[in-house]
Amino acid sequence: MEATFIAALAGLTSIGAYYVGARALGLPSARLGAAVGKMLESVGMVLIFLAVNLTTSVLVVLVVRGLADTFVSAYAVDDAVWLGLSLIQGLAFQSWRGSAAEPASGR
Amino acid sequence: MDTTVRRGDRVCRTIGLAGIVFFLVSAFSPLAYRLNQWMADSPRLVASDAIVVLGGWISPSGMLSLESLRRTNRGIELYRRGLAPVLILLGGSTGGGPTEAEVRAAQARLHGIPAEAILTETRARTTREEAARVKALLEPRGVRTVLLVTNAGHLARARPLFERAGFEVRGVPSDPLVGADAPESRIAQMRVLVKEFLGWLYYRIAGYI
Repeated sequence: MEATFIAALAGLTSIGAYYVGARALGLPSARLGAAVGKMLESVGMVLIFLAVNLTTSVLVVLVVRGLADTFVSAYAVDDAVWLGLSLIQGLAFQSWRGSAAEPASGR
Repeated sequence: MDTTVRRGDRVCRTIGLAGIVFFLVSAFSPLAYRLNQWMADSPRLVASDAIVVLGGWISPSGMLSLESLRRTNRGIELYRRGLAPVLILLGGSTGGGPTEAEVRAAQARLHGIPAEAILTETRARTTREEAARVKALLEPRGVRTVLLVTNAGHLARARPLFERAGFEVRGVPSDPLVGADAPESRIAQMRVLVKEFLGWLYYRIAGYI
């Protein structure tokens, strides 16, 4: 029930956003596919950062365990904040890549 | 240069698409519940020599995590059903606070379990260490069969470790095996499963199981 409600509501707001974009803002519908592609690229970049962050932190934990006398739990890696941090890193990196691909402005 | 960028974009798109599909399937389908059920197998609630309740997590102030409480309650329930004469509770401390095993033991005593039927182990820090410590604790007592209590995803890793330690293991999942309907609960369940899968993979690569 809750899942259906959430899915239906997200569907409605998506349709609403399409109408606002197409009608009120005059955005070309033909470019929607390309925009979705760009969104997928950004999500992919965030996931790459997440994988790199988690793998690196596990390796650090294992190295610290091997070298130092103190025990560090691998569960330190299991924190939702990694997703937020990876989101920031991934979006920033993707924007940087995007800006590098654009032609330089007049000034 | 352009080709490299395009290829990079394609890789990002594919990963992004896979991530979104995984997210939607996890949130809006019973996949996590089905996987959990499959990993839990059917618990074999038969009389055994001991009940072993693996550690979860405790806060520095001494509050058991939800998972730790679930496992403890399951262990207490098994004991009260007369399935084993000994209850072994595991778990160390966090940040110098009280140990998880002692807090659990206090709970078990509150539920009427005699102190002499409770054993605690507070030094093990990983599942592998838990198996080794429990072996050292129970082998002299001649314990062969154990009811191993932990969450279903963790059982996949814990069971072979305890079998390697020489026990005949009857896995008893602590999870409430009811289908979570809320997307957030499904995502949380999938997160636990992914974490446990990675833990299992690490133990396999390291040759522990």
